[in-house]
Amino acid sequence: MADNDVERFEDQLAELEAIVGRIDSGELSLEEAIGAFERGVGLVRALNQKLDEFDRRVEVLTRGAGGELRRSPSGAMTDAFDDGADDDRDE
Amino acid sequence: MAGQLEFGLSRKRERVALTVTQLVRVVRETLETQIDEYWVSGEVSNARRAPSNHLYFTLKDARSAINVVMFNTAARRLQFRLEDGMRVVMRGRVSLYETRGALQFYAEEVEPRGLGALQLAFEQLRERLKQEGLFDAALKRPLPLLPRTVGIVTALGSAALRDMMRLLFDRFPNLQVIIAPSAVQGAGAAAGIVRALEDLNHDGRAEVIIVGRGGGSLEDLWPFNEEIVARAIRRSRIPVVSAVGHEIDYTIADFAADLRAPTPSAAAQLTVPDKADLRRRIDQLHGAMATALRAALAAQRRQVAHLGSRMRDPHAPIRDSRQRLDEAAAALARACAAQSASRRALLRQLATRLTSPLAIGAATGLRRNAVRTLQERLWRALRSRRDAVRARLNSDMQRLDAVSPLRVLDRGYAVVTRRLDAAVVTDVRQVEVDDEIGVRLANGRLLARILTKSQDR
Repeated sequence: MADNDVERFEDQLAELEAIVGRIDSGELSLEEAIGAFERGVGLVRALNQKLDEFDRRVEVLTRGAGGELRRSPSGAMTDAFDDGADDDRDE
Repeated sequence: MAGQLEFGLSRKRERVALTVTQLVRVVRETLETQIDEYWVSGEVSNARRAPSNHLYFTLKDARSAINVVMFNTAARRLQFRLEDGMRVVMRGRVSLYETRGALQFYAEEVEPRGLGALQLAFEQLRERLKQEGLFDAALKRPLPLLPRTVGIVTALGSAALRDMMRLLFDRFPNLQVIIAPSAVQGAGAAAGIVRALEDLNHDGRAEVIIVGRGGGSLEDLWPFNEEIVARAIRRSRIPVVSAVGHEIDYTIADFAADLRAPTPSAAAQLTVPDKADLRRRIDQLHGAMATALRAALAAQRRQVAHLGSRMRDPHAPIRDSRQRLDEAAAALARACAAQSASRRALLRQLATRLTSPLAIGAATGLRRNAVRTLQERLWRALRSRRDAVRARLNSDMQRLDAVSPLRVLDRGYAVVTRRLDAAVVTDVRQVEVDDEIGVRLANGRLLARILTKSQDR
């Protein structure tokens, strides 16, 4: 869950936005501005990394006979969503 | 009447008394055989549900009242909550409650007058849960901007699921989706939805859950109007987006959810950001940051240039001196040239005047001495000029040194930076007790922790 992440995407994005604002404000000393820029570049890298962090995956959670949770692997299930002309439409 | 009484009294001796039970049974049997099933309308009062789940109330109109009981099997089928003052129509039979010999109506079915039963049940549950605070805005959790894993509770193979999957992957191709399947209409659907929500919470990887189904009749959507579903949504530790039916359909689940999406497709769009959009936003910020830094550098450069115009360039004295040296050298060369020319002229003059070799020799010696003296004076002049330049350079260097930050440190000052972000601390409000700070001294650095702080004025 998101709580376990070191830093959430939106927090990093917000920090990046704040950094741009701070450098732009001209209130920083040159040294501070350069430091903020370096932090910002790190954030850009982290944000882009987060966008690509995972691979596409689809799982179906079911209960086993003993009531335990089971995760079905993606492949077979994803196919079911691509055609699906035979399903009972509930719309 | 009088005759009957006399007859009864006259048979006093042989009279056979019925027990109360027998009497009540006779009355009951008479009632049950003689009076049909009826629909009766009236106003509910004194409604209460017993621990046995039987439902008791009094149905009355302007003139009369009758006690009503609805046994738990019938009461369970009741979709709305019976409340005092409600006008209803009930179907059932009248009979006698033998223990108290009381006339009672045994209701099999109760329907509200006016609104349909489902509609009424919806309004009642919504009002009750609202009073309880289940729909409070304060309970609504924000959705993560970028959920890498999305949970979906809906029927496997449904068009709603297919639409959602297509949109989700269109927007974010490398998304992870966990489907917790459940029936979404009919008996047991509500319990299935509750279990699916619990399963996703138990699994714990989803960062947001979409629960929903496509459009349908009020009966079809009914599981999403059940209290257990609303409570399960609120109980979820993962934020829940409801996506039930069409835009116009509102369900109890919608009110309980952290966010209500008008349709399953809309839920997909509200839940997962467009990856290309995010990428563009990051690039944009990156660019804006670089532009801002360039502007800051340019501003700084202008400031330095401005300061520089007020403070002498340390190289300037050297350049000046060099120029002056060059000028001096040129002047000297000119002087020498002029002097030798004049001396040659003099020599020629003397030569023409003095024909004596001795006289010529004496005169040459004299002139040699004069040239040597001139050379020495020249060197002295150059040396003193050089020393003056050197002295001025030294004093310029010292002035520069005095304004250098390192020199300030030499005098016992220190630069304090926050360890967290290396920001220079110029204000006590920038730091808190227990913060770690870097202290830069003239010949090294310290890492320190703040014990206390106080602010002047």
